[in-house]
Amino acid sequence: MKSNPEKEETFVPFHLPFGPQHPASGHFYGSVKVDGEEVVELEPYPGYLHRGLEKLMEYRTHIQNSVLVDRICVLEPFSNEMGYVNVVEKIAGIEAPERAQSIRTIMAELGRILSHITWIAIVSLALGLDSGARIALGDREGILRLNEVATGGRIYPCYFIPGGVRRDLPEGFEEKTLEELDYLKSQLNLYDSLIFRNETFVTRMSGVGIFNAKEAIALGATGPNLRGCGVESDVRKDEPYAAYPRVNFRVMTMKEGDAYSRVLCRRGEIAESISILRQLLQDTPKGKFRIKMTTRTPKGNAYFCCEAARGELCFHMVSDGTDKPYRVKVRGPSFSHTLSEFPYLARGAQIADIPAIYWSLDPCPPDMDR
Amino acid sequence: MSEEIISSLKSEFADSILKVFLEDKKILVTVKKEGFYDVLSSLKGMGFDHLSDVTCIDYIKEQEFEIFYHLWAHKKKLRVSVKVRIPRDSSSIRSVTDLWTGAQIHERENHEMFGVNFPGNPDLSPLFLEDWEEIPPLRKDFDTRKFVRRKYYGEE
Amino acid sequence: MGMMATFRSIVKRLRGILKPLVISRYLTTKPMTLRFPEESLESVQGYRGRHLLEPEKCIGCGICVSVCPNNAIELVEFMGQRYPQIHLGKCCFCALCAEYCPRNALKMTRLATISIFDRPSAVYGPEELSKLL
Repeated sequence: MKSNPEKEETFVPFHLPFGPQHPASGHFYGSVKVDGEEVVELEPYPGYLHRGLEKLMEYRTHIQNSVLVDRICVLEPFSNEMGYVNVVEKIAGIEAPERAQSIRTIMAELGRILSHITWIAIVSLALGLDSGARIALGDREGILRLNEVATGGRIYPCYFIPGGVRRDLPEGFEEKTLEELDYLKSQLNLYDSLIFRNETFVTRMSGVGIFNAKEAIALGATGPNLRGCGVESDVRKDEPYAAYPRVNFRVMTMKEGDAYSRVLCRRGEIAESISILRQLLQDTPKGKFRIKMTTRTPKGNAYFCCEAARGELCFHMVSDGTDKPYRVKVRGPSFSHTLSEFPYLARGAQIADIPAIYWSLDPCPPDMDR
Repeated sequence: MSEEIISSLKSEFADSILKVFLEDKKILVTVKKEGFYDVLSSLKGMGFDHLSDVTCIDYIKEQEFEIFYHLWAHKKKLRVSVKVRIPRDSSSIRSVTDLWTGAQIHERENHEMFGVNFPGNPDLSPLFLEDWEEIPPLRKDFDTRKFVRRKYYGEE
Repeated sequence: MGMMATFRSIVKRLRGILKPLVISRYLTTKPMTLRFPEESLESVQGYRGRHLLEPEKCIGCGICVSVCPNNAIELVEFMGQRYPQIHLGKCCFCALCAEYCPRNALKMTRLATISIFDRPSAVYGPEELSKLL
């Protein structure tokens, strides 16, 4: 804060709006107060995508809700369905058959790769690297095509249902997926040369938005944001669900805690997901893919957490014995990231660092607003 | 490890805790409103450093709100859920922002959606809704379908 | 020490600046985009497009009405019997109605390109639903 003691002027900060009409901001408005080139305070104004999903879910049955839940995080299709379906099965006391669990894990990992590739496109677009955006958005097409073949929809698959999955995997799905994984593995080398080892990108991302493990945990960070600070925490390893107990994979952690280490965590996760998928596609168990569930669930409470691409996604459901839930609470990972961590990290940064910090946290506004 | 935590909680807070048991590798604690802050702060001292969520449930027949705190310990890999009941009219409960900084935004959302007051929270201004004049929307006596028909379609 | 370290750091930075030029291989490959509507992407078998009703199979039970999440289906009188009428503006194309129909009278086709000029024409009655044009 500058003030000239002789003239005794008071400091009036300049207000710079970051979004919502901004190419690098997404559906989010951050009101930034700057003093010269340095950010003094950032106040978030969420709510552009608030649809009241928690209230809407109280008017629909469990099967109807499994179609609505896709809309919680649009960029990552299968993680919301995974969380919802598991919490309903927990309350009802049933367990999906093994083939269904395997299929769910395969689709969830494909969804994770899709989300990370979309994130690569947006982070390079926000920093001005247009070619990365165009190439990555074109590479999404392969996975969207696989979604279409297996589930019938590209962005909103409506595939998981309490009791299993709605359709079996079609003929030839395994071969197509393995071809697609080989293509994506070779594309990762291209992204390394173009984006992740690009001199300008590295300089803009290193050393900004630093926080240590203690601060990150206190602010509620989860997922790659927390793993970039050196904390090894992944719900797939700590509280395994679906077919994750059967696969081997590493948890990517980095030590520095700045924006570049978070970026490298996500890039490493794409490679790990490719290896998980290769293990799962080798031996998918045979058998039924769906069992029937009763329409009414017994009274009770259940809480289930799963690992989305952005962090820990949790569902808390209360059932009162009818066929509709009494209360559903969704804890989206981007809620803490955008509304607690981003204002904390943006304080003291330069104006040009704001998109770099924002997109290194990988926010998803529909997840935050629900 | 869970048994040690359960027994130490039972011995230390015998009058505030109504029920504590282990279910499916998770510890569930029911506490009274008067002693809940000490229980939470003792759990934080035992290593539960991550607050996942603060959930509020509206039991309109019993005229009570039930507030859940879901905690996770990174080193011990254990999960604890603590639940408290507060009366529905003039509902207010002490804020836990000084234990976990990330709780501030969860309490702000619950204040807007349910009308629960959290004294000690630095900022409880509206988060998602603008110019909202009805009762807090996630309460059970607010009917969204009637509201939409009245406001946007002009029906009664 | 100073000269070698400076030289190495200059080489490293130059590499970081010149490496992105590998994408120049995209100058000679086929573009990823298509010129719509002359060329278009074919949707696959099993895609959830517009509905197709087979009136001779429908028994008017109303299960599709109760399972729809958006209340988009209504049963209307047509030629002496009750058939579904779907409001495609409210429909989210989830295919729950087709899955739960006990006689397989309602199916989802691959038709994805539907356009209208005013909202009332989004309501497709049983006669329009039974034609695939």
